[in-house]
Amino acid sequence: MATTAAPARPTIHPTYEPGKSGVWAWLTTVDHKRIGMLYLMTALSFFVVGGIEAVIIRIQLQAPNQHVVSAEFYNQLFTMHGTTMIFLVIMPLSAAFFNFLIPLQIGARDVAFPRLNAFSYWVYLFGGLFITLPIFFQVAPNGGWFGYAPLTTRPYSPGINIDFWVMGLQILGISSLAAAFNFITTIINLRAPGMTLMRMPMFTWMSFVVQFLLILAFPVITIALVFLLFDRFFGTQFYEVAAGADPLLWQHLFWIFGHPEVYILVLPAFGLVSEVLPTYSRKPLFGYPVMVYSGILIGVLGFGVWAHHMFAVGMGAIADSFFALATMLIGIPTGVKIFNWMATMAQGSIRFTTSMKFAIGLVALFTIGGISGVMHSSPPADLQQTDSYFIVAHFHYVLFGGSIMGIFAGIYHYVPKMTGRLMDEKLGNWHFWLTFIGMNLTFFPMHFAGMLGMPRRIYTYDSGQGWDTFNLMSSIGSYILVVASVIFFHNFFRSRKRGEIAGPNPWHAGTLEWSLPSPVPEYNFATVPTVTSRYPLWEGSEVDLESARINSQEGKTAADLGIILPYPTIKPLIVAAGIIVMFTGLITTKVLVFLGAAIIVGSLYSWLLSPLEPEHH
Amino acid sequence: MRETSRLRVLGTTGIALALALFLGACKQDYPNTTFVPHSEYGREIDFLWDRLLLLGTIVFVLIEGALIYVMIRYRRRETDERPPQTHGNVIIEVIWTLIPAFILLFIAIPTVRTIFTTQAKVAAGALQIEVIGHQWWWEFRYPEYGVTTANEIYLPVGRTVNFKLNSNDVIHSFWIPQLGGKRDVVTNRTNYIWLTPDSTMQPSVWNGFCAEYCGASHAKMKFRVFTVKPDQFASWVEHQRGPAVFGATASTGAAGTATTPAGGQPRESGVTSAGGAAPAVPRPPGSTIPGADTVAAPAPNAVLAGNRQPAAGSPGYIYPREQLPEYAKPHTPIPGNVTFTKGLTGNAARGQQVYSSAACIGCHTIAGNPMSVGNVGPNLTHFGSRSTIGAGSFPNSPAYLALWIKNARAMKPDILMPTLGKNEYDPVLKTRVTTGGLDDQQIADIVAYLSSLK
Amino acid sequence: MSASAQPVPHHYTSTGLDSRKIAIWAFIGSECMLFISLISTYLIYKGRSLVGPFPHEVWTDPSTGHVFRPILNIPVTSASTFTLLMSSLFMVLALAAVQNKEIPKHTRGDRILGSSKLWLWATAIAGATFLGFQAFEFTSFVHEGLTIRRNLFGSSFFTLTGFHGAHVTAGVIWLLTLLSIDYRRGLGPKDALNVDIAALYWHFVDVVWIAIFTLVYLLR
Repeated sequence: MATTAAPARPTIHPTYEPGKSGVWAWLTTVDHKRIGMLYLMTALSFFVVGGIEAVIIRIQLQAPNQHVVSAEFYNQLFTMHGTTMIFLVIMPLSAAFFNFLIPLQIGARDVAFPRLNAFSYWVYLFGGLFITLPIFFQVAPNGGWFGYAPLTTRPYSPGINIDFWVMGLQILGISSLAAAFNFITTIINLRAPGMTLMRMPMFTWMSFVVQFLLILAFPVITIALVFLLFDRFFGTQFYEVAAGADPLLWQHLFWIFGHPEVYILVLPAFGLVSEVLPTYSRKPLFGYPVMVYSGILIGVLGFGVWAHHMFAVGMGAIADSFFALATMLIGIPTGVKIFNWMATMAQGSIRFTTSMKFAIGLVALFTIGGISGVMHSSPPADLQQTDSYFIVAHFHYVLFGGSIMGIFAGIYHYVPKMTGRLMDEKLGNWHFWLTFIGMNLTFFPMHFAGMLGMPRRIYTYDSGQGWDTFNLMSSIGSYILVVASVIFFHNFFRSRKRGEIAGPNPWHAGTLEWSLPSPVPEYNFATVPTVTSRYPLWEGSEVDLESARINSQEGKTAADLGIILPYPTIKPLIVAAGIIVMFTGLITTKVLVFLGAAIIVGSLYSWLLSPLEPEHH
Repeated sequence: MRETSRLRVLGTTGIALALALFLGACKQDYPNTTFVPHSEYGREIDFLWDRLLLLGTIVFVLIEGALIYVMIRYRRRETDERPPQTHGNVIIEVIWTLIPAFILLFIAIPTVRTIFTTQAKVAAGALQIEVIGHQWWWEFRYPEYGVTTANEIYLPVGRTVNFKLNSNDVIHSFWIPQLGGKRDVVTNRTNYIWLTPDSTMQPSVWNGFCAEYCGASHAKMKFRVFTVKPDQFASWVEHQRGPAVFGATASTGAAGTATTPAGGQPRESGVTSAGGAAPAVPRPPGSTIPGADTVAAPAPNAVLAGNRQPAAGSPGYIYPREQLPEYAKPHTPIPGNVTFTKGLTGNAARGQQVYSSAACIGCHTIAGNPMSVGNVGPNLTHFGSRSTIGAGSFPNSPAYLALWIKNARAMKPDILMPTLGKNEYDPVLKTRVTTGGLDDQQIADIVAYLSSLK
Repeated sequence: MSASAQPVPHHYTSTGLDSRKIAIWAFIGSECMLFISLISTYLIYKGRSLVGPFPHEVWTDPSTGHVFRPILNIPVTSASTFTLLMSSLFMVLALAAVQNKEIPKHTRGDRILGSSKLWLWATAIAGATFLGFQAFEFTSFVHEGLTIRRNLFGSSFFTLTGFHGAHVTAGVIWLLTLLSIDYRRGLGPKDALNVDIAALYWHFVDVVWIAIFTLVYLLR
């Protein structure tokens, strides 16, 4: 069997030259791997925030008629839990992998626009803080992550809360869009010779689909938010019901974005799992072309089903039928993915590492989310389910059972590549089982609570409604998830210092990134590889193996190899800061708007007119 | 392997647990269950649900079973041989693309059929009810009868009812789980939902909810639906369409006064002592406060339950208060910071005067009281006939009502109904009520007045 | 692409195109969705306003008796549309001038019309003229009683055309930046890509206006 050309050595070499560490180096970095790490660490921090919000919610609902937190604060909590987990946790965790993995998987030295990449990260960080900090002062957004108008318009939400939400999402949208342009270009244009589209690793493929969803879906929410912003600040009447506005305008715009957003959240996890399952089954992905096409099909159909979030609004029988059938159609490519994953494992030689357990966890749990999804693709049935806890159960099986499980699989799989050290398998085992049990205990009973009539987003409920047991179970489950997360963080930080040395390819995986030393040197590939196969390290020709041999050599610097790297620069961070200043001005003083605009224009010019890298000889 | 056997155990337990839960869910311990519909609309949905559940369970068992089989069968053994490097199999892949498509066909066809049957135009002769969503209460109008009520609907069994849904402010959603699916109540838009409560039902009460997040007190936007026999409905409606019977009963002098229970200490926080603190009217609306230390006078509704011919001027049919099941009685504890002086006697006639000169009339209508024509808050004409206050938040009893009038905003977050008690802290305005506040005696009088509006 | 001894040159790309060119196409795709959302909103809200003025219909204020004429001025907007269309033509000529800067002038057959400076100025001025028309239109609408707060038509109209105007403004600034580079060191074939990208953006903004002009002004 052909694995890596170079054996793992029990040393860990510095990824970066001395002098390139320290805070300033991180603030000015344009290296996709470092930016990936920044995304990962930031998103995990927000994961803690969103998790604490969730636990407070569960403490409140543990028993009937509890008032641990006030109604107002509860509404902020559930709004921010959803907003945080979607925009500040799952999307950026995916972005961490886009950043870290895509160039490595396609044989590139960096992304197409390294400085734009840094910009995306800083905008995300600042936007994340902008939208998160208000909760510590109990003035956080309180209109739900879906922010339905007219509730979010000034007459019904006069406070500053919704302002943070509208602007925070605008800021985060800038980050996502900039990153998406970057990755589309990277994948189209920076593939190594021989890396044809149909040889790309499945993670890169799913990411590719996601970037298109991002660039097509985010402008729609941008406009929806612009309307809301104008309504709230400049007195326009887009959602002003007194002026004859149609509240469904917001819902349509929001869900035209919102449904593709679901696939934006889950397809990267599908991609990660499609890397993990073959590796630990020692078999190539089953039905690669079908996996590609089904991913694309999910993305395309994802734009035609938004109104299934609106079956209760009274769209009429014809629209209901159309969106019901379109939604059911999506079940087909999704089902195919599940079958192909199982077929990848079948006849394999399955090794149950932590990563593999999480990947199998995704297959098992996402299936449940998929089945309940089909259950409310039927509008009449959905009328009993929508806005009840049944939906809460459903989308947590999709987003926790799907996205989060897949991302954990990816973290255990790729942390060795990022840091050069393995995470502990024993702790990982505890993490997985507690997550698996806690997750099911939290979310499975919600199916029952919902079908037994419990509406969503209620800050408390009365006793005698038949919901007490289910809520208690859910709350206990969420406490188990807290324990699981503590174990994960312990494992994660412990591995940075004390984890086993990984070597280039600890899992005997087959794709290009595993031909590189761990951690990956700044320049990624000493020589840009030529690719002749989907799994260069498994079934590659001599050409693949020769590139892998050269690229796995450790200890060389970019200067040794004569590789030109981009200059580090602080300018993207300053532009990002200018954006925050500008938006902050809208809720404080107009002076800041102009100051922010000036900062943006000035630093943008300075950025665009300065060269990316030293002149090429 | 260790993990797999553990998974097997876990899987079996999980499925057993799920089944146990599901079977349990069918019992009547679950007053809002959607599994036991009580209307033809509910049954249409339930038919689809049963099919979805059956197919879903089959798919679930097959996929998870296959997954577990694959995990056990193909786990890595000691001889770590490289498995066959298959890349795919077109025939198999086509088959498992077609299987889900085939299964979905069994869902799609009845789905579309049900969409068109349940959204068809309602049959002629249906009872029309206009539903108007407010933050955070429900206004119900029976245009046919000129009746306006709040947070309670009476429906005759066996007759189709057509709800016309409109919102006064933000989006709400109208949901009676046991009678069928929900429908959003959208501003600037009229939606309809119609259903026929089963004609074989005994008089019953159902919980209704707002299912669309609508702001601070979304959780407290509930309502009650009473499905009653047609003649009971006729009695109820006959009475509700007229002005309040206060005038008639007040002249007897019975309903006009309220006696005070023994004891005069300030009420402690919590429900248990609430009854002792509040003014008790001689004819309380049929239910006593949990843990109340006074026994209420016999409830008139007990008599009315069997009342088949409502006499003019006497209260019509009301669902017997003492027969209300636990799930239809609010159990919300009273916030600890709202208290009421013990030992006060309310006088309904005096209460009417206080009410008519206080802020109340700016928002509420009471037919028969020419001063009270506000249309911002619920219509209170037959307030005494209702079982809850605050849209299902609290029982409609003198003790709760007194606290409610004194400081509604402390009892239900962010509501429009202002804090009225003198020196009370208004949590919305974040100030104490100084000028124009009502003292406890005045509130006790208003309680006596309102409670007598049968 | 620089000739290099290495098997894969430093700026190797899979498609052979510069990455910026791919990125601008992705950006334009995204911008399409932005304007589709804006235009759809305008069309959805058409006829839903409770009070006038309206785009194509007369409206009498029932309280004051004041008569509002149809507000859209199609002849004036046709002129501004024509200006913007012309600017696209100038942009094409500017790009050609930059690309062919090093080809000797007066060569028979492929004679270059004018200089890059001339055509960039022409484009920028045409763009600025369009903005001037828009400013005139906006002020006259406000005088006639249509503000962004007046009704749904006002909100959606001003936001849609305002967004487009902001795009034109950004384009004019972009053109002026190119001009300043041209004055500083001269734009030549090596800058053709930069001008090309600006041109793509400019043409896109122009095409969007044609859609707006048709759907907002001409469609009744």
